[in-house]
Amino acid sequence: MAGRTRRILLSRFVVVPTACMVVVIIWNAYVAAHADGVVTGRVVDGSGHAIADATVRMMEQNFTTNSQRGAARTDANGAFRFDDNRSHSIQLRAEKEGVGRSDQRAVRLYFRSQHIDLRQPLVLKGPPQ
Amino acid sequence: MRRPQRYHRAPMHRYPRWPLHVMLVAISFAMLLPFYWVLKTSLTGENIFVYPPSILPHHPQPFYYVDVWYFIPFARFLLNSVVVSVLAIVANVVFNAMAAYSLTKNFAGRGWTITLLLSCMMIPFQTTIVPAYLITGKLGLLNSYLGLALPTFSTIVCIFVYKASFDAVPNSLVDAARIDGLSEFRILLQIMLPLSTSAIATNVILAFIWSWNNFLWPLIVVRDQAMQTLPLGLSRFLSDHENTTGALYAFCIMVLAPGIALFLMAQKEFIRGLTSGATKG
Repeated sequence: MAGRTRRILLSRFVVVPTACMVVVIIWNAYVAAHADGVVTGRVVDGSGHAIADATVRMMEQNFTTNSQRGAARTDANGAFRFDDNRSHSIQLRAEKEGVGRSDQRAVRLYFRSQHIDLRQPLVLKGPPQ
Repeated sequence: MRRPQRYHRAPMHRYPRWPLHVMLVAISFAMLLPFYWVLKTSLTGENIFVYPPSILPHHPQPFYYVDVWYFIPFARFLLNSVVVSVLAIVANVVFNAMAAYSLTKNFAGRGWTITLLLSCMMIPFQTTIVPAYLITGKLGLLNSYLGLALPTFSTIVCIFVYKASFDAVPNSLVDAARIDGLSEFRILLQIMLPLSTSAIATNVILAFIWSWNNFLWPLIVVRDQAMQTLPLGLSRFLSDHENTTGALYAFCIMVLAPGIALFLMAQKEFIRGLTSGATKG
């Protein structure tokens, strides 16, 4: 009886769904622990200097629409932070009057509200000469 | 020292088999190519009409799958499909096994019953869809899980798969069980079904795939988006979002994956179930 139970438990019909379930549970636990909606990053100019008081706009991207979700200002170190991202697909753009504006950067996340710290800063480009 | 004499097995085939294997590998490759293409596009989003086509994916990423998961109610569609498939599988195993067991018995009109069942296999579902809809409506099952699964509750092909498997069980075993006092239901449950695991696997796979891929019946029966199954969701996705190649292919992979996984897990039993009884007699 024990041998039969062991054989059933070790069959691929039990092992594969169980493994899938374990992966799903682990993934959901990871998502729950990292879905705080925080997006952080920096804004610099073309020579890499931090830009203070620049405006960073966050847009939510959809298959068909692209709507603004919020805006933040950079601190003295050029750092910005959003606390309320509820999307998995956003776009960020920084600008400062007199300095210039950055390219619109698409940020794709693995799940909604994923905590993300942008490795590459948003680079402000001066107005065209 | 005398070396042991080597015995060479006589060749079983007159001609070398490698050309056949090469041909089979080439055919398998050709058949798998569309699946690979779908998978590649789902990871890269490359337009399928790009020329020259790239064989290897460039910068693969999983974000189209994330889009599908969040931009459409995929989890709801998945739940609906799973519930309907489970209902269909359970009902199939129960009803088909009982029907097949009755066909292994001798009773008046058995031949006619088998002929009737075989002839019903020739009738396409599309021709019976209006009465099926009216019956489902009269039962008050429109727009419900039970109504979605109802037409797939029994399949004639699977009845004959069970019948072939039950026919292979020796009559002496059934007679012994009867002498021991088992009822017909317990003979089916405790003797026939445990000896017919291949037939059960075949039935489970076929019922799952038919139910999972069913499009026409859910299209007619379902009225709310909350009750839509994955094929309906896929169709709706196609009509709602046009220029979303990567996400569309990711959706296709997510719809296909459970069926492929189930088949890969149970393919040995599936093939055995389909061929059981083929060499009987």
